[in-house]
Amino acid sequence: MTMCGRVLVVEDDAVLRETLEEVLRDEGHEVRTAAHGQEALDLMDEWHPELIILDLMMPVMDGFAFRDEQLRKGIALGTRVLVLSAARDLEAAATRVTADAFLSKPFRLDEVLSSVSLLLGAPGRYGPGDGTSPPVS
Amino acid sequence: MSLLEESEIARANRAITGLPFLPGEIAFRVLVESVQDYAIFLLGPQGQVLTWNQGAERIKGYTADEIIGEHFSRFYTPEEIAENRPARLLEVASRDGRVEIEGWRVRKDGTRFWADVILTALKDEDGHTYAYAKVTRDLTEKRAAEERERRLLAEQEARAAAEEALIARDRFLSIASHELKTPAASLRLTVDSLLRARSTGRLDDERLESGLNRLSTATSRLDTLVNELLDVSRLQSGTRPSAMERFDFVALVRDVVERFTDADDDRRIVVTAPDESWIVGDASRLDQVVTNVMDNAVKYSPIDERVEVDVADVPGGVALTVTDRGVGIDDEAVARLFEAFGRGTNVEHIPGLGLGLFISRQIVEHHGGRIQVEPRQGEQGTVMRMWLPREAGSE
Repeated sequence: MTMCGRVLVVEDDAVLRETLEEVLRDEGHEVRTAAHGQEALDLMDEWHPELIILDLMMPVMDGFAFRDEQLRKGIALGTRVLVLSAARDLEAAATRVTADAFLSKPFRLDEVLSSVSLLLGAPGRYGPGDGTSPPVS
Repeated sequence: MSLLEESEIARANRAITGLPFLPGEIAFRVLVESVQDYAIFLLGPQGQVLTWNQGAERIKGYTADEIIGEHFSRFYTPEEIAENRPARLLEVASRDGRVEIEGWRVRKDGTRFWADVILTALKDEDGHTYAYAKVTRDLTEKRAAEERERRLLAEQEARAAAEEALIARDRFLSIASHELKTPAASLRLTVDSLLRARSTGRLDDERLESGLNRLSTATSRLDTLVNELLDVSRLQSGTRPSAMERFDFVALVRDVVERFTDADDDRRIVVTAPDESWIVGDASRLDQVVTNVMDNAVKYSPIDERVEVDVADVPGGVALTVTDRGVGIDDEAVARLFEAFGRGTNVEHIPGLGLGLFISRQIVEHHGGRIQVEPRQGEQGTVMRMWLPREAGSE
C-alpha cells in the first residue's frame, strides 16, 4: 500500500519543483513548495510536513543553512528528509544535513516515488512523524 | 714570515713606487697580503700592478711573480678592452676619488667571474694620483646563489599558480557538474512524469502542454550552459571577433535592456543615454557582453531595486556604466571576478557557470576596450564600468 502524507518540496529549479509537485499530487500526497530554505522555514511556521524533499544548493538560503535553522528552532523535528542534489560527494553532504535518504541528480521518477513512499512509512530521525499518517512497523 | 720583516713583495713594491717604507706598516701589509676573500692590490698611475695578495692569487689565478708589473687590463674581457674601459675607470677614480662597479672579469685560465670592484685613487699632497688601490671581490658564488634563489622563487610561484589553476578547475567542475545536472534532472524527471501520466491515463492536453514547456525551459538552460562553455574554449584558443560593423551602441544597449524589461516587468531599469553613439565592432559579441552585464546586475539584486544604465560619449570612445543595488562584492572577489570560473564568494548558489564576466572581458579586450567592476561607493551594490574605443582596436 502506498503511504500518503504531507510533502514539502524545497528546490530552486522551477521545472523540477513544479514537476515534483505535480507527480506527488498525482500520488495522493498533500504538496507544498518553496524555492529556497527561507521560504520553506516561513511556510513551516504554520504547516508541518512529514517529508521534506530538499535540494542543497539554492540561492538566499541553501539546504545546509535551512536544516541548521530548522533543527536549531526545533521546527517539525519528526520530519523525514530526502535530499535531491547534484552535489559532488553527496553522501557526505546528506550526512551533514542529517538526511534520511538521498538521490543524486539526475534521478528517475520511480526512484523518487519509492523513496517518498518508503520514508513516509518510516519513523523520522528525531521522533515519529507528527502527521496524520501513522508510522507503519 | 716575521711581522717585523719587510716582505719580499713589499720590498719589490717599494722599489717600483719609490715610496718610503714605514716600519709601522708591516703588520698592516701582512694583514692585507693574507686576506683570502678579497683581491687587494695597488696599481701604478698608468695601471700596472704593483702589489698582490693571497686573495688576488686565489681569485684571479696569477701568482705575484707573474702579474706584478703587468697592466691591469688583462683582467678585463676583450669587449671591455675594446671600449677602453680599464683606462676610463682609472680616469673616473682619479677624478672622483673612488669608483665601484660590478662586472665580468677574466681569470688567468680565461674563465670569467662576476666581480665587485672598488678602485680608489691615492693622491699626494698636491692632489696628483700616484697609485690606485683596487679591491676586488668574487661574487660569482653569490650571484649563482641569487640566481638559484630567483629560480626557486619562480618555481614556487609557478607551482602556486598551477595549484591555483587546479583549485579553479576543481571549483569549475563542481559548479559545472551541478549546473549541467540540474537541467538534465529536469529533462529526465519531466519525461518520466509524462510517461507516467500517459500510462495512468492522466495525460490530458493541459498536462502535455505544461510538460512540453518544462522540457523547453530545461533544454534552453542546457543550451545556454553549453554555449557558455564553448565560448570560453573558443575565446581561450584566441579566436577574435570577426564580424566588424558600424552600429549604434545606444540602440544595442536599449535592445538588451528591453529584453530584461520583458522578462521582468517589476524591475526598474533606468537608462540614461545620448540619442545615438556609433562605433565599429562586433555587434553580436558586444550584445553578449551587455547582456551578461545586465544579467549580473539583475540576477544579484533584489527584484524591487533600481538598476541604472548609463551610456556616455567619452574621448575616443563610448562608456557604459551599470549600477545595481544588489548583494555587492568585496575587494578580494573583484580580483577573481574576471577569471574563468571566478565568482564572488557570497554568491555560491546562484545558477550559472560564473563564466559570463570572463567571456565579457575577453570580448571587450579584443575590441581594445576595458571593463571593470567595483563596489558601489559607501552603499550596497556594484558598479560595472566598460569603455569601448570608437573603432575596435584603435585605442
